[in-house]
Amino acid sequence: MKAEVVVIGSGISGLTAAALLAKKGKRVVILEQNRRPGGALKRFTRRGIPFDIGFHYSGGMGKGEILRALWKYIGVWPRLAVLPFPEEGNENLRIMDSGKVVRAFFSYDRLEDELQRVFPGEKQGIYAYLNKIREISNTIPFFNLDLPLTPYLHDLFSPKGMSLAQLLMSLIRDTDLHAVLSTPVFLYGVPPREVNLTIHASVAHPLYSGVYAIDGGGQAIVDAFLATLAEAGVDILTGQKVESVLIRGNQVAGVKTSEKEIYASHVIYTGHPTSLLDLVPGEIFRKAFCNRMRNLINTDSMFIVFGAIDDPDTLGDLTWINYYNIRTGLDIMDLDLRHPEKSIMINAPGRRDSDSTGASGGVLLIRMSVWDEVARFDQGVREKRSAAYRKWKAESADKMIEQAGRLWGDAYSRIEPLAIGTPLTFRDKLGLPMGATYGVRHSMNQFSPGVRTRLPGLWLSGQGTLMAGIMGASLAGMVTVGEIEGLEPLWYEVRQCR
Amino acid sequence: MISDEQVYQQVTQIMAEEFELEPESLQPDATLYEDLGLDSLDAVDMVVALEKAFGMKMTDEEAVRSVRTLADLFDLVCRLKNRQVTKE
Ligand SMILES: Cc1cc2nc3c(=O)[nH]c(=O)nc-3n(C[C@H](O)[C@H](O)[C@H](O)COP(=O)(O)OP(=O)(O)OC[C@H]3O[C@@H](n4cnc5c(N)ncnc54)[C@H](O)[C@@H]3O)c2cc1C
Repeated sequence: MKAEVVVIGSGISGLTAAALLAKKGKRVVILEQNRRPGGALKRFTRRGIPFDIGFHYSGGMGKGEILRALWKYIGVWPRLAVLPFPEEGNENLRIMDSGKVVRAFFSYDRLEDELQRVFPGEKQGIYAYLNKIREISNTIPFFNLDLPLTPYLHDLFSPKGMSLAQLLMSLIRDTDLHAVLSTPVFLYGVPPREVNLTIHASVAHPLYSGVYAIDGGGQAIVDAFLATLAEAGVDILTGQKVESVLIRGNQVAGVKTSEKEIYASHVIYTGHPTSLLDLVPGEIFRKAFCNRMRNLINTDSMFIVFGAIDDPDTLGDLTWINYYNIRTGLDIMDLDLRHPEKSIMINAPGRRDSDSTGASGGVLLIRMSVWDEVARFDQGVREKRSAAYRKWKAESADKMIEQAGRLWGDAYSRIEPLAIGTPLTFRDKLGLPMGATYGVRHSMNQFSPGVRTRLPGLWLSGQGTLMAGIMGASLAGMVTVGEIEGLEPLWYEVRQCR
Repeated sequence: MISDEQVYQQVTQIMAEEFELEPESLQPDATLYEDLGLDSLDAVDMVVALEKAFGMKMTDEEAVRSVRTLADLFDLVCRLKNRQVTKE
């Protein structure tokens, strides 16, 4: 089989890259190891209830905003029914130490009002923080679409500057407020002391500018891309794990799966950058590169209960409000396994579907997790798990359900777990090393992998290269195609669609 | 504290191992890009390898970019090492 470009992986970054290349007239083949395409965007169904995994909401879909422009350019936008969160939608943040509750609205103005109401002594700091985020976002081309991409991307890959923690400590004394303003870190997985303001603003700014769900969830995004790709003649081969990259001379020649060889002069790899080393013969990369990829620090993982509730109306407004129980201070991501009260989050993305007959009964309970919690149960990928693992999983889920009942009302204690995701699940189903939910940690302490590699024709993309999240990964697909086809001309065309 | 001589030896060793370069080619006046054949992609890997080995940060991009020869690199690493010691 022959193509001009092979894209490894059918997550949002691979789908975006393939669609852009097809639009440029390239013959593209996507290879996906799982039986169903879509990566983290896929939905799965239990007892008729559809559950989202990697898409609950996203910013950037308002008028003139980046995801809307990019997806319009690609042609998927008209296929999507986008649901803006209503004004009252918010992250309902309960600080476990003080019991204080803050509604973090998805709007700069409403958020500022709420924060000033709850923290009247911190008015200036609140203003200064929000202003700073706005100011930084104005220097980021994804939010100020008139800016060129090249200088920004150059700077992004060199970690420097002030951390979120430093900014918050310089402006604000109240540790509850530190926690509240740090909560966007849950959406990209880097602790406040390690993240620079550019990465933070890239998630916080769209969050404060308005967020959106999609009717039908992440699966609707996948389906929209598949329809567009089918029209463009892109082949998607599933159940095809790429085992190696083929090389002729000093140049990419294609890829090999367990079943076939596919020849192409460009290969885009969207999986985790560390796993790239398994696909390329040892002598191609220098040791320094291999060591750097091998030693990348990843984000932590999550423990998720996908549950059902018989009478969804008893849960209160879970449709447009996400409930969080977090600790005070800047270490909100640290998972203290000995501490009886854990940070926990609960939401119900499926309820936002217009046809919510099945979806409305689904609830997600989420907490941070780390590999250490499951390491003792690991018997290799996709091996049958032990009874001890299942017992641990069920007990951990019960604890969370019990905690939710205590925090948010009795109705929550009646949640019945239908599926449970642990670091092992995320490793096996999404190929994330140690179940690292957001892959590579875009931390100030390391250089994130770039798009180019030493091997001509081999390119990286995916959340590890640019940013985590649907927006980050879709933009990563765009940036990689830009590196191949010419970055600024592509960027120019995309931003005409705003 | 390690001496400049030790820094010199360690940098040479790291370059030889991590970039698979012949030790004889690692002369102080060898240029990284022309003589040793490194490119801009290798630069980040080099910084990461040196940061790890010496436990320091090479965040001053201008300084890194102005490095042309191995001697420049030794100087930069020594300077950063010494600054670190003064700070401590
Ligand atoms: C629980 C959870 C909740 C999240 N919530 C949100 C949210 O609400 N909003 C948001 O914006 N983001 C969210 N995210 C993050 C978002 O889902 C990801 O950042 C994004 O989907 C990553 O896309 P990707 O294309 O980089 O990777 P993936 O979606 O992981 O795609 C990579 C694909 O490559 C395939 N692959 C890898 N190696 C090979 C190989 N050798 N051969 C063949 N195929 C291969 C994999 O099977 C996979 O399908 C969440 C993530 C998780 C896990």
